[in-house]
Amino acid sequence: MGAPGPDGAAGTPPAIEIRGLVKDFAVGLRGLRLRAVDHVSFAVRPGEIFGLLGPNGSGKSTTIKLLLGLLEPTAGGCAIFGVPSGKVEARRDVGYLPEAPNFYRFLSGRELVVFYGRMCGLAGAALRQRVEEVITLVGLAGSADRRVETYSKGMLQRIGLAQALVHDPRLLILDEPTAGVDPVGSAEMAELILALKARGKTVLITSHLLGQIEDLCDRVAILDRGRLVAEGNVSELAGAPGRLSFETDALPSEEIAALRAWLESRGRRLESVAPARRRLEDVFRAHVGRGARSTEEKR
Amino acid sequence: MWLIAGNTLREAARQRFFQFLLLLAFTLTFGARWLRDFNFGAPELKFLADCGFGAMAFLGAALTIAATAQLFFSEVDNRTALTLLAKPVWRAEFVLGKLLGVAALAAVFCALLTGLLSLVLAWREAELVRLLPDAVAPGGGVSHAMVALGGLMQWLRLLVLAAFTLLVATFAQSQLFSVVTGFLVLVVCHLQHLAQDAYVRAGSAAGLVASALISSVFPDFQVFQIADSLAAADLPATGDVLRVTLYALGYSAAAAGLAVVSFRRREI
Repeated sequence: MGAPGPDGAAGTPPAIEIRGLVKDFAVGLRGLRLRAVDHVSFAVRPGEIFGLLGPNGSGKSTTIKLLLGLLEPTAGGCAIFGVPSGKVEARRDVGYLPEAPNFYRFLSGRELVVFYGRMCGLAGAALRQRVEEVITLVGLAGSADRRVETYSKGMLQRIGLAQALVHDPRLLILDEPTAGVDPVGSAEMAELILALKARGKTVLITSHLLGQIEDLCDRVAILDRGRLVAEGNVSELAGAPGRLSFETDALPSEEIAALRAWLESRGRRLESVAPARRRLEDVFRAHVGRGARSTEEKR
Repeated sequence: MWLIAGNTLREAARQRFFQFLLLLAFTLTFGARWLRDFNFGAPELKFLADCGFGAMAFLGAALTIAATAQLFFSEVDNRTALTLLAKPVWRAEFVLGKLLGVAALAAVFCALLTGLLSLVLAWREAELVRLLPDAVAPGGGVSHAMVALGGLMQWLRLLVLAAFTLLVATFAQSQLFSVVTGFLVLVVCHLQHLAQDAYVRAGSAAGLVASALISSVFPDFQVFQIADSLAAADLPATGDVLRVTLYALGYSAAAAGLAVVSFRRREI
């Protein structure tokens, strides 16, 4: 698995390389096998945001655990920046935020990030500086001395992101980072992820919020029942080749009829006309964005 | 590994169960003075020491087994182990860190109770000397070195118990199973010398094999009874203390090694 894959630039291994990955779980006493991941292969290039999509039970989290060396593959393998996943060295450059993260409740947010920073080999002034940086980055500077047990779901996700970032890894693996988080927190998480990409980080993200994935990701892979069923650029996968949509000021019905007639005279068809709509998420954020954040910080 | 151990100790020390057992053990050790009517003929100071060490042994075992299983399964069930093992951490470091954390907890427990027991014994001895000057023969007073040695032996016993319980926890699917098995191990280790005697007396080949198996797999907790007196004259030789210490460390290391192997294959 050490050699650069086709997606890596010459001499630069892919951030993630997964080849022919298979994972079977034994079920029951008779040793029946449940295949959770079925010959999955894909690569993630350095610096991109890659979305891993799929319904519940499609094998996303299992793939991530295999990638992090938390599970042993039945067949195939994975590598992170060219280092096989089973090795501890592979995890030196990875930050991981698990789905619905749970942390040591008796620690404060700052103590938690310090603990994980030490686990990654940081110490002294470098550790202190880095802890302050990531706590500020995730917007928890005002709550860092509160015990984790008092944090809301959104704050747990943000402190989880802080612990994932504390050792400044090149690769971030975020498993459902916005699960259970309100739209405002979710949008803030998306902004954070984009900011991290701007700093050159590679991000692998799983989410059920397809709208968010579409806005965030450069490329996606879709899993279903453990198999890779689609992979590619978001624009390639979600786009409708050969078709266009327009948005204009409101038009009276006679002008719409004239437009339709003009298109038909050129052998085209006006497929649909509908009032423009904002996404409900944008409406929600416009109304409660700042209020929601300040309330959460005060709690 | 040391970071995980420190965090484990911190988590354990904040649990009410630990605080409750410590308080109960303190109460038993301190309050033994008012239980002297139940001394079964033993001299009063010896009775006080037996109460203190009894509290340490019984409550310490309960604490060690419960803490080992609980602290291990809380990491797995709450999935904090996921975040931890996604860092550049060896699984062996995780397992050994947990064991060291529980060992430190048991050490704090034993040290606090040994200190209290020494204070209680010194206080009561001074009282007895004042009330009955002839009650304590010259040179026959409480040897605090012996009390400290007794505390050390209790800790070594708990260390072995923690290692065996952790070994069970690494392959068990439930905390309850680990706790119950931990108590079974405790009983077997306490009674194995009786089983050995019985098998040897029976004289059958199968009995002898069973005896050899039990005595090699399970440590004999009776070997930790080398500080069963309060007199300085009964202090065991340094070689004996070292031998028992190595015996405990050897069994703990073997159980911890097996726990590491078992945990390497565990799917989290």
